[in-house]
Amino acid sequence: MSVHEGPSRLNRLRDSRDFRRLGACVFGMLVLALVTGPEGIQGNPTYGVIQSWLRPRVVGFLIAAVVLWALMTFWGRLSGRIRAEVVEVADVGRRLFESRLPRFGTYLLLIVLAVLLPQILSGTWQEITVDQIGTYVLLALGLNVVVGFAGLLDLGYIAFYLIGAYSTAYWSGALPVQPPFDLNPFFIIPFAVLAAMLTGVILGTPTLRLRGDYLAIVTLGFGEIIQIVATNLQGVTGGAEGVIGIRHFSVNLFGVRYAWPVGATANLPYYYLLLGFVVVALVIFHLLEHSRVGRAWTAIREDEVAAAACGINPLKYKIMAFAIGASTSGFAGVLFASKIGFIDPTEFSVQMSILVLILVVFGGQGSLAGALVGAAFIQWGQNFLRVLNVGWYNEQDLYVYLGGLLVVMMIFRPQGVLPSRRRSREIGLAEHGIGTADAMSAGETAP
Amino acid sequence: MLRVAIVRRIVRYAVPLVVGGVCLAACSSSSSPSPSTTGGSGSLPSYTIAYEGPLSGGDAQLGLNMKFAVELAINQANSGTSQFGKLPFKLNFLGEDDQGSPSVSPSVATSLVDNSSVIAVVGPAFSGATKAAEPTFSGANLATVTPSATNPALATQGWSNFFRVVADDNAQGPADAQYIANTLHIKSVYVVNDASAYAVGLTAAFASEARSLGMTVTSEQVPGTTQCSEGTGSVTEYPASATKVVSSGAGALYYGGYYCGFADFAKALRSAGFKGQLFSDDGSLDPHYVSGAGATVASGTLISCPCQTLASSGPASAFISQFKTLAGFAVGTYSAESYDATNTIIKALKSLAATDGASKITRAGVVQGLKSITFVGLTKTIKFKSNGDIAGTAEYVYKVGPSGTISEVGPA
Amino acid sequence: MCFTQNFWSLLIEGLANGFIYALIALGYTLVYGVLRLINFAHSEVFMSGAFGGLFVLQNLIGSRQPGGLTSVWLVAIGIAGAAAAGGAVAFLLERVAYRPLRRRNAPRLAFLISAIGASYFLYNLAGKEFGRQAINIPAPFTNGTVFTVFGAPVQTYYLVVAAVTIVLLVLLDRVVAKTRLGQGIRSVAQDAETASLMGVNIDRTISLTFVIGGLLGGAAGFLYALPVGAVFTIGFTPGLKAFTAAVLGGIGNVRGAMIGGLLLGVVENLSVACISTSWRDVVAFGILVIVLMFRPTGLFGERLGRSA
Repeated sequence: MSVHEGPSRLNRLRDSRDFRRLGACVFGMLVLALVTGPEGIQGNPTYGVIQSWLRPRVVGFLIAAVVLWALMTFWGRLSGRIRAEVVEVADVGRRLFESRLPRFGTYLLLIVLAVLLPQILSGTWQEITVDQIGTYVLLALGLNVVVGFAGLLDLGYIAFYLIGAYSTAYWSGALPVQPPFDLNPFFIIPFAVLAAMLTGVILGTPTLRLRGDYLAIVTLGFGEIIQIVATNLQGVTGGAEGVIGIRHFSVNLFGVRYAWPVGATANLPYYYLLLGFVVVALVIFHLLEHSRVGRAWTAIREDEVAAAACGINPLKYKIMAFAIGASTSGFAGVLFASKIGFIDPTEFSVQMSILVLILVVFGGQGSLAGALVGAAFIQWGQNFLRVLNVGWYNEQDLYVYLGGLLVVMMIFRPQGVLPSRRRSREIGLAEHGIGTADAMSAGETAP
Repeated sequence: MLRVAIVRRIVRYAVPLVVGGVCLAACSSSSSPSPSTTGGSGSLPSYTIAYEGPLSGGDAQLGLNMKFAVELAINQANSGTSQFGKLPFKLNFLGEDDQGSPSVSPSVATSLVDNSSVIAVVGPAFSGATKAAEPTFSGANLATVTPSATNPALATQGWSNFFRVVADDNAQGPADAQYIANTLHIKSVYVVNDASAYAVGLTAAFASEARSLGMTVTSEQVPGTTQCSEGTGSVTEYPASATKVVSSGAGALYYGGYYCGFADFAKALRSAGFKGQLFSDDGSLDPHYVSGAGATVASGTLISCPCQTLASSGPASAFISQFKTLAGFAVGTYSAESYDATNTIIKALKSLAATDGASKITRAGVVQGLKSITFVGLTKTIKFKSNGDIAGTAEYVYKVGPSGTISEVGPA
Repeated sequence: MCFTQNFWSLLIEGLANGFIYALIALGYTLVYGVLRLINFAHSEVFMSGAFGGLFVLQNLIGSRQPGGLTSVWLVAIGIAGAAAAGGAVAFLLERVAYRPLRRRNAPRLAFLISAIGASYFLYNLAGKEFGRQAINIPAPFTNGTVFTVFGAPVQTYYLVVAAVTIVLLVLLDRVVAKTRLGQGIRSVAQDAETASLMGVNIDRTISLTFVIGGLLGGAAGFLYALPVGAVFTIGFTPGLKAFTAAVLGGIGNVRGAMIGGLLLGVVENLSVACISTSWRDVVAFGILVIVLMFRPTGLFGERLGRSA
């Protein structure tokens, strides 16, 4: 080797950055091997680890690690044609959606699909579509307004779901405490949503001045408190036994009479009700996003102090976001309560709030399409794996995967899978020290 | 240019995607796990009896106790050598895990209802899960015979497909109160429930009967802990509650809940100096209570159950040994009741086959058949009241011995 | 007053709980001091300590009932094993979940979300690998009443908790106030940029801070699990309570964390006398909410940089 040549290719490969990447890939793949490995045996702590790592299957994972590393390292040198194609498709897609007609056409197509598709699904899948996918899509859309639009981390989101559900129970007369008058069942929805919204305002007003970390913990605390109150107040909420016999949703208004059915045939009618509200929510949130309110949220999110200096009252807009999120959650609770007819307060834990957070973060905070797609994909995915009963997936391990997914997303793609362009820009700017990308860093009560 | 680019891409990417998506949807509509439907082996029509209960999670042992008993009954019936003789149909077993949770049970119920070969269900095992799932079963008129869901509200919702082979909490609670008052002659009792749906109902029934018997009753809710995956509490609450129990001077402690929480609480009680009688419900009737609390603490504890241990001789002995062979562990709480529940269903199926023909058994027929059936099981004679509850009630009391073995003391 | 009955029993039990909360709270406070980050996953560090101590003792204690000096050694070894496990997990946590984000100068929300993800990942993984039922820790000492205070029994267990906590706290105080490392931690907490200009290796200091917090949290996990056994869900509620304690004392303040822990443990326990046990957690969370709303700087309000 001549002294005038640069470092050989071998030496370049030994460059520490590539090595570190290889190490990270191997580490990640080993973790994946452990996570998809067999369950441990009670009393034998090393069993699961040995079965995951000291068996031939680990070779496959190591190979995958090397392949992944190669892809990441040599992506730049990849076949030019493929890269050009990928870039062009993305570009075409973007240009397509910028003109109105194709955009509305796609929306129409999606709505038609959404209306027709469940008809051909099996009963099990219809039920999953309503209870698991549809409900969580609605919840994700609501939380997206709080986390994505206003940049507030709410870890007690399910508290509003619970309030919506209990309000439904109350107005149906299923609680030990009876309502003052008999309410036309159709109006249960607005009353319950109002209750959730009010709770959001009541909880938000004193706490939304707080800085992001503290807000997160306070909302967590509130979520826990509401769950404990529901479990303890037996005279009011039925206590730990829960509430049974909640009236199923029905309409009896201006001559229109329809009662949503019970049991296995209830899935489709509730699905269409849910679909209707998802579409309404999408439209409203989209309009909000591009209105003055949306711009105020963006301003608060990007730089709260500057926004306040421009005359925006951050507290007012934060409460608004909180209330909107709460009412969406409350509505989902109403649907749930009237469909299942039974509420068990012990089931609505922090874990459920975190799940909705994961859906929003995965899809893309601040992006309606992102929240929708993220929620639908993860919920569909986990139910698909569960129903299919594949050997390596144990549904009890769901949160291992989701937790790991969150960490990976934050490291590699914090803006989410389908981010809003604005948010990606914010995060990019924040990483270079400009602005804050969320309502967490600034705040007058920072200690 | 843009239009050409778009069209080219639509053809290249969108078409296969749409085709794939439709395939996936169509596939998923037929991929729900369903065992052989009618027209199975040979020319015998086949039906499925399903079991729904917790097969994973903290309470899995209770679920497994029942699942294997159901499976055993079905295997015996198929062999032609059971008490039913040769049957004109073949039975399949399907076990579904609802984790004892009311969030999961509706979807399990839907998948069972969807499965056209399922003719009856043993379960759901837990009361909360039953409350959430029963509307689905009821809507499809699919008979559910539960061996263990004892919440009284279940029989009052108007579900004509609901049956239960054990006495409900309204029978168990008062029976326990009477036992403590009349057999143990204890005048004051401290009642604790773990904030589970099951325990709240049971302890309320216990407390009101105890008061009417003239006992001094103090009630408290001590939530199940995250330690036991039973609730939101933390184990640091037990010493504080134990202190209160000790200072109340109660002669007995009645705990409504499950073995994991009871073990931790019992330890705290004994550490705090509680000398009174420990008493709990069938959720604690499990060797894990003894291993969790330690034999010293657990010794002398009394546990009540609407379930019965079987005499080891006589007709039960075959069940006990065959269960051990199939499951790999000995019979446990509610195994015998599940066995009886399954056999009751099989008897109903047999008489339906005789009247309607073996290939014409319907779910509605099974529901009707169960309403009027009488079956002599290992644990009791099974006959249902009009609301689905078992006719006649029976409670039994168990005691933990000094070495940790649990044995039946007698009826309550 | 309602809590004059059983006052001393509840007080002593509350103090014992409080010591454990204090140990955990220190982990939160230390990390917050240097990173301005609530390490949501600290409860899993706590959990690893419980399992670490469990595995160490399982291999050492057979079925014999140890006593006397052996007990002291066993407790020490158990604590060492637990602390090591906690420290290791804390180290990994920092390296895998937080350092990449720090490198990229990620927004604050990303840190918190990553912490939540890491927390869920770790405890569910533990459940998967170690089983979901609690495993009893073989007792390193025989528990009994050592003496009574105004009629309230003081168990061996309480004395062990107090002793271990005090020893660890003294050690920590020494490290933070007297050693080079402690100086590094305090300087990074005060002003990271200037500290690095002064030659402090930020990465290493942060890593070591996590490890120290992990050692304490792990030890706390072992102490907590001794009476009830180690299980994967053990971390959540104590973690949240300890965070409350840290906030109560003033997050970022070492002495505040200690006092906050003790205070919370006692108040929470005494409240049981007045209201039913089922409302106990509401009291703790209520304190959290009220402190955050009306005095977010906590009782002592000062920072790590200016304390000790």
